[in-house]
Amino acid sequence: MKPVEIVLVYQSLLGIYGDRGNAMVLRQRLAWRGIDATLTVVDPGDDVPSTGSVYLLGGGEDAAQISAVKALKADGHLFRAIDAGAVLFAVCAGYQIVGETFTVGENDEVIEGLGLLDVTTRRGPERAVGEVLSAWTRPDGTESLVTGFENHGGFTYLGVNAEPLARVEIGVGNCGDGTDGAVQGNVLGIYPHGPILARNPELADHLLERALGHELDPLPNPELDELRRQRIAAVRRTGLRR
Amino acid sequence: MPSTLSTPAEPASLTRAERLRLWTAIRVGDVAALASRLAGRGSGASIRGQVLTRLDPNAFADLLQGHRVLAVSGTNGKTTTTHLLAAAVRSGLGADARRLVTNADGANLHYGIASALSQQPRSDIAVLETDERVVSDMIAHARPELLVLLNFSRDQLDRHHEIKALGRSWRAALAAAGAVGPTIVANACDPLVVWSAGTAAKVVWVETDTTWSADGALCPACGTVLRRLPIDERARWDCPGCELTQPEASYRVDGERIVLPNGRMVHPDLQVPGSFNVSNAACALAAAVEFGVPVPEALAGMHTVTAPAGRFATTHFGRTRARLLLAKNPAGWAEALPLATSDPVILAIDSVAADGKDVSWLWDVEYEQLAGRRVVCTGPRAQDLAVRLSYAGVEHEVEPDLRAALGERDMPVDVIATYTPFQRLLKMAGLR
Repeated sequence: MKPVEIVLVYQSLLGIYGDRGNAMVLRQRLAWRGIDATLTVVDPGDDVPSTGSVYLLGGGEDAAQISAVKALKADGHLFRAIDAGAVLFAVCAGYQIVGETFTVGENDEVIEGLGLLDVTTRRGPERAVGEVLSAWTRPDGTESLVTGFENHGGFTYLGVNAEPLARVEIGVGNCGDGTDGAVQGNVLGIYPHGPILARNPELADHLLERALGHELDPLPNPELDELRRQRIAAVRRTGLRR
Repeated sequence: MPSTLSTPAEPASLTRAERLRLWTAIRVGDVAALASRLAGRGSGASIRGQVLTRLDPNAFADLLQGHRVLAVSGTNGKTTTTHLLAAAVRSGLGADARRLVTNADGANLHYGIASALSQQPRSDIAVLETDERVVSDMIAHARPELLVLLNFSRDQLDRHHEIKALGRSWRAALAAAGAVGPTIVANACDPLVVWSAGTAAKVVWVETDTTWSADGALCPACGTVLRRLPIDERARWDCPGCELTQPEASYRVDGERIVLPNGRMVHPDLQVPGSFNVSNAACALAAAVEFGVPVPEALAGMHTVTAPAGRFATTHFGRTRARLLLAKNPAGWAEALPLATSDPVILAIDSVAADGKDVSWLWDVEYEQLAGRRVVCTGPRAQDLAVRLSYAGVEHEVEPDLRAALGERDMPVDVIATYTPFQRLLKMAGLR
């Protein structure tokens, strides 16, 4: 069988918050289950492969967002891969650029995004920084807590074609409306950046199952359970409940 | 006439009222520091500075008057480079070494600098570690003769949201200072540093041995993706979209050695480890020479630096002999990890404000290089590190308590810690 290809898109542009961790987590969770997986790191200027199963976008600054949008549009392979059934998971600034429009700079210049998610992002009243906790509804209807760290100046508003990904318990999320992230077909975005998949193995496995089209065996990990217990307790102790 | 090493500083020009206010603030600050020391709460330098600057809001600017200032800034290596530069200048001053004041403890904000200056009223040369956020004020108030800019990388992004914003403030301050602004000694290999120094009247470039380039993907001036051109077997960065390019350097690091502007190679013979400290030494040497210190004196001075503010110190905790390394961000970890060679190695992680509240940077660090050795994860965020190490395939155990993690060991261990646990270790060891 062909190895499952995880594609980390423009890590050097959109990877400021350890966002490559998401790619490492996905690949390793497959490897731990004995499933052959490769990690392809694409630098700006390189072709984006169209053979990936999961594509990842991370956080970055304004200039990096503009540069990444331009390069991804010129390259085109990401769009074709998603049409062919691949999953795209974008966090933070990456989440903003997969939407319809977002703004950059002091003068809030409007930039056209990749148009893969029906969301728009505008400068928020204040920067959202801190630990967040939200509940994500799995396809079978059960809920799973998502723990992470958000750091964004933009507020994101969902259009009619996108569904919220999670319900915020603590933190700001999309725009303070009680939701965080968005999902539309196989494209998923959410604000908590960096290794959100390290803290949320169920979300990681959901992305993989979606891309592979079948369920994965459970992967018990007491160490990870303990980390989740600590982070959830910490944010409930100190975070601002909405 | 150009100033030389022996040139005295212009005396401070303060009114009687200003002098009295400053003098009073210093005395009250000293009392506060003494009280803090007696209460066993550290050196008291921090509380002194806070009281002092509260009672006299102009203390920072007033105390800087009457000094020829050499400032050192950048994301990593500030404290060590400040120690190297201070030692080089002291060596050059010889019998007049007491003219020099420095904030050796690494307290590099307004009040830390004010506190250090207040303790040596007779000094007229100040070598000052300066936080990135204080650089523009330093340029405006102290008119430094020299400003060393080491590097710029991601650090505490929960507070500094944009790396480039600081560079922008430096450009503005240097532009405002114009021809009387400082001579910059700067790292030519760091695009953000080069852009930040772009408005300075004079720059001495140093080609360092920089390993971290993840924050130099885009041109800070125009946003184009930078390219790396292999020239003479060394990669030089260049912007295909605008004029910005790696400047031709006067000083160059070549392995363990430093190539001087005249082409001569010198061996700095440092007692602080690591290739990044050779780069720090090259910057300190260039600054010292600009200030008028002859190369042999500068090198002799730098050779005396062993454990700046506890960095690289070897000390005992009970029976355990430990070497203490500080790493505050991914670039710092990239430099520190190869130095930690013990098995096990102890890694201490915290996430209070001074460490950065967001530990997602753990995934920017190549912990994979520790595979085959055992890691003791400690500090309040030990569990985050443990999960990171699991994914990296590195064997580890978790002991959140710092003292328990150090244990009673027969073999020496290397400890790498983020800021807060590092300070705790120094305190436990009686080093501060």
